[in-house]
Amino acid sequence: MKDIFKFSNSARASAKLSQMSSVELQQPKFENPSLIVGWNKDAGQLNPKVIEYLNKQIGGESFCEIEPMDFFSLAGVAVERDAAQFPKGEFYYCQRSDLVIFKGSEPEFERYRFLNAVSDLAQHYCVIKHLYTIGGTISLIAHTDTRKILAVYNKKEFQEELQGYGLEDMNWRGTPAISSYLLWVAKGKEIPGVSLWTQIPFYLAASEDFQAIKQTLSFLDKRFNLELDLKELDEQTQLQNTKIDRLRQQDSEINRCIGALESGLSLSEEEQLSLIKAVSECLEFGKS
Amino acid sequence: MAVRIYREPDAAEACDSIMFCGWPGIGNIGILAIDTLKSLLRAQEFGEIEPWDFFEPYEVTIEGGLLKDLEFPSNKFYFQRFNASSEHGRRDLNVLFFIGQQQPSEPRTRYAQGQKAYEMANLVLDVAEKYGCRRVYTSGAAVTQIHHTARPRVWAVPNSIRLVSEVKRYPNTILMSEIEGRGDQGVITGLNGLMLGVAKKRGLDAVCLMGEIPYYLQAAPWPYPKASKSVLEVITGILGLKADFSALEELSQKIEQQIEDFLESLYNTEAIPPEVRDEIEKLKYVEPTEIGPITDEEQKRIMEHIDELFDEGGRPDERHL
Repeated sequence: MKDIFKFSNSARASAKLSQMSSVELQQPKFENPSLIVGWNKDAGQLNPKVIEYLNKQIGGESFCEIEPMDFFSLAGVAVERDAAQFPKGEFYYCQRSDLVIFKGSEPEFERYRFLNAVSDLAQHYCVIKHLYTIGGTISLIAHTDTRKILAVYNKKEFQEELQGYGLEDMNWRGTPAISSYLLWVAKGKEIPGVSLWTQIPFYLAASEDFQAIKQTLSFLDKRFNLELDLKELDEQTQLQNTKIDRLRQQDSEINRCIGALESGLSLSEEEQLSLIKAVSECLEFGKS
Repeated sequence: MAVRIYREPDAAEACDSIMFCGWPGIGNIGILAIDTLKSLLRAQEFGEIEPWDFFEPYEVTIEGGLLKDLEFPSNKFYFQRFNASSEHGRRDLNVLFFIGQQQPSEPRTRYAQGQKAYEMANLVLDVAEKYGCRRVYTSGAAVTQIHHTARPRVWAVPNSIRLVSEVKRYPNTILMSEIEGRGDQGVITGLNGLMLGVAKKRGLDAVCLMGEIPYYLQAAPWPYPKASKSVLEVITGILGLKADFSALEELSQKIEQQIEDFLESLYNTEAIPPEVRDEIEKLKYVEPTEIGPITDEEQKRIMEHIDELFDEGGRPDERHL
């Protein structure tokens, strides 16, 4: 594990390293926490925004990083949204709420070894009791619809424990996402876990879906008694809805398409594409 | 990285043992030949190479909110003992099979290469040696100038000069040196080639049998059972096994008709120019050769058209959960 992880300590973080004769790791005092895993890219920006919001509000502190060497192509850097990116995987801990958070880029190579390492560290170093992965699932719903959170568990007992949180069980067969892969690795290690898939209207997938972000945070708030302040997300949802309402007033075809979705009707591929284009442009324009 | 043996094969120690390996490749020629042989001999599964260090999972099954299964490409070992006949009489033979659903490869490479492929080749040969195999056969495709109505030959490459005289006696088989314009050299890509080398390093005999496939079909999404049948005829000859190839023959005829229909539709819609049609049709009337009646330039022109057409069937992205 030493080759894969780089541990930090508060002494180093507060620049006292030079005064110390030797570096002693200051291991956070874990109390059988839960691990929440989020990836850097997601539909509706759900994953990065939930983790960012959560970390900010509960005051998570970084204690360990994954070395990118074995898992990412380091032949150069990707440029996204005009900025150079670099793959990262970092663990945070908040003692007050006893939560470990992992925020990371999805590995390009050696995914099994990567996920095995993440779950090993969580199990043996942090001694977690439960694993939660979060993510958005692109759905044929309107932005005015309530976002459901679909759930996949790796243990029946954990499924029973989470009854009453409004999660919806799902059935599905298809290509596995990295969160499902992690859930499977965790199952092999007897770590009870759940993957939460919050619905994202397909035409908000390329933007930010504040309502889905709030829905996911609300679940975590209730589950872990975090007392999160989610007012900012309400304001952002309202602002986004106002922009889309304005678009609906200006464009009758877009209004018809969204209306059809609100009535539970489906759209043709062509209609879906024009809706995505119109909403993306409207929200992008609104930013500038 | 581990091999899991879940049922020790009932091997007779006094018997000779050989192993046949098959995995997907061009026209799935090798895997179809070896898998058919495995079925003919009713070989029983006895172990596998744990897949997660080599491959990505391709399917997740979720039922009632519970993650039921995550499926990876399989890499399994099979075994059967049978009474083989040869020029020296009858003898018991332990036959092992390794059949992989996918070749391990490094990111962004088409064929098996690099550390992962080398590790897998070694794991397969560990099992071969554990059960006393002194000979390993692999199988794949030889891309050449042949028409799809012609009977494919089998190119044979042993990993030792000592085996050349034996290989020469196989029916409908040629050596690299017998292919016009090639000299006695070539490259065997993927796990087929790597296995020959790794076996040589360990002092094991290995032979790669490659069924010929028309170069204009190398990117086709269909199997090419006609070449698998040629390979299988060679293998059953080696084993002294009388086998019924009717299922493979039937599949072969179906695919040939499919190829005819596909080419005809391309000719009719002028998706490929008449001169390319003439170049393909020319191959029908000549003996198969590596450098044959059409020029490299003509071959390049055909490939440009055909490959483009095979690439057109891209599927939309699916949802991942």
